[in-house]
Amino acid sequence: MIEFKNVTKEYSPNLFKEAKVALQNVSFEVKAGEFVTLCGRSGAGKTTILKLIACEEKPSSGVVMFDDTNTLDVKKSDAHLIRQKIGFIFQDYKLLSYKTAYENIAYALEAFDFNEKLVKDEVMQVLELVGLESRANCLPKELSGGEKQRVSIARALIHRPEIILADEPTGNLDPYHTRDIIKILLKINEAGSTVILSTHSRETVNALEKRVITLENGRIIRDEEKGVFSL
Amino acid sequence: MINYIRKVFKSGWAGFMRQGFLTFATALVIFIAVTLGTSLFFFQGGVSYLTKQIQDKIDISVTFKADVARDDILKIRDDLIKLSEVKKVDYISPEDAYNAFVQAHQGDQYMEALGLLSVNPFLPSLRIQTNQPSQYKQVSEYLKQDTYKDLINEVNDYKRGVMIEKLGELTKSVQLLGLSMTFFLSLIAVIITFNTLRLSIFSQKEEIEIMRLVGAKNSFIRGPFLVQGALCGFFAAILSFMISTIVLFILNKQLTSLFIGFDSLAFFKANVLAVILLQLLVGVGLGLISSYFAVRKYLRD
Repeated sequence: MIEFKNVTKEYSPNLFKEAKVALQNVSFEVKAGEFVTLCGRSGAGKTTILKLIACEEKPSSGVVMFDDTNTLDVKKSDAHLIRQKIGFIFQDYKLLSYKTAYENIAYALEAFDFNEKLVKDEVMQVLELVGLESRANCLPKELSGGEKQRVSIARALIHRPEIILADEPTGNLDPYHTRDIIKILLKINEAGSTVILSTHSRETVNALEKRVITLENGRIIRDEEKGVFSL
Repeated sequence: MINYIRKVFKSGWAGFMRQGFLTFATALVIFIAVTLGTSLFFFQGGVSYLTKQIQDKIDISVTFKADVARDDILKIRDDLIKLSEVKKVDYISPEDAYNAFVQAHQGDQYMEALGLLSVNPFLPSLRIQTNQPSQYKQVSEYLKQDTYKDLINEVNDYKRGVMIEKLGELTKSVQLLGLSMTFFLSLIAVIITFNTLRLSIFSQKEEIEIMRLVGAKNSFIRGPFLVQGALCGFFAAILSFMISTIVLFILNKQLTSLFIGFDSLAFFKANVLAVILLQLLVGVGLGLISSYFAVRKYLRD
């Protein structure tokens, strides 16, 4: 499903930043239905990998394949077709403060040709999946961190993506809510979606018992099935 | 497709209403730009009016010898009318000239001097107007040819020649100044509007990011912002039209006196459709163009 072949990503220097090599000669493959954890310290290259998958960035050298499509060949105007296959989850939730939980999720469907009845059915379905059907009409400020992240997950799932990219989704959460989010991600994976989770949390990595790719200074230093946190 | 357009308009309207103060600020900036454009339109109208007024007051006066027959003068008038440079030729008989003088100088010392004379001292003449001030010289040269030499007493372009040429230059300069001002002020208006809209769109960058991440097409993301910009421009144009109308009705007398007889209200009434179209074009155009460029920054891959 996803394949990185000798991928290097360099950021050119500018007035404010020095040149930076974010990824160096990285190669790995993620098969459909897999749950992969990208583990590493801040600046190790985890987020860069997620951006390369989502066509937010292009590799400086090497090849990133997404469903047999070389992302280098994807035109700017067609990048949205790749993103339609992806659901994103962020550490800072990225919820619109003036919209309720329901509206935040439904907003993501505006880009697609759904009628209002279908939108309602779909949104209530994902809210049920993340256990928030009773909180549908709450604004983000009325929700706890864990609940916000569950809304964010529901929004990522609403357009039925093939793959979920979760960038430090438990970074702002306490251990109780972290376990909660991990359980939901595992449930999504069991339902057939591929999940790539980026984290630097030892507890999260060890609790998952899934494949772990460990990154350091833009290089893969370990790639283990049922790996553990080892930095 | 209809559903798509409906969504874009609905989302644009929602953004327009939700932005509150920023919407108001943007509409206000566009209102200033539109009103500026309208003022420049009126300024150009005023300049054209004044130029025409001055040009109408300029002419060449050709006086003929006392013994030249009226028919001969009228024949010369017909010859002159045929010239493409000539706009108008009026024949002034000695009697007409006398009457005009009496009317203009009633009771003054010139009338006393005229009273001393036992005959009408005025000669028959032709008053010629050309299409352009620069053409007076050519007409003057035409009249100095040998055919007319024995008939003409004087072609009095000597003193007016320099003035006519200078006036022509002045007219061109004023028009050029008006156009330069229009261009320069329009450029400033575009820059200010663009920056205000950029600020408004910056505050909505999360919406843009979310829409991008769920796979919305760039055209779909851009749509609501274009609608917002166009709405700001539309309401700014309507406001500008209403205020221009009120100001013209209230201050028409003062404006007419300020612009030396240029009746702005009459000009407005005669061009009302052009004014509203100009205002809508400037307002909506500014809103659309500025939104397009402001949102482009967030849609680059």
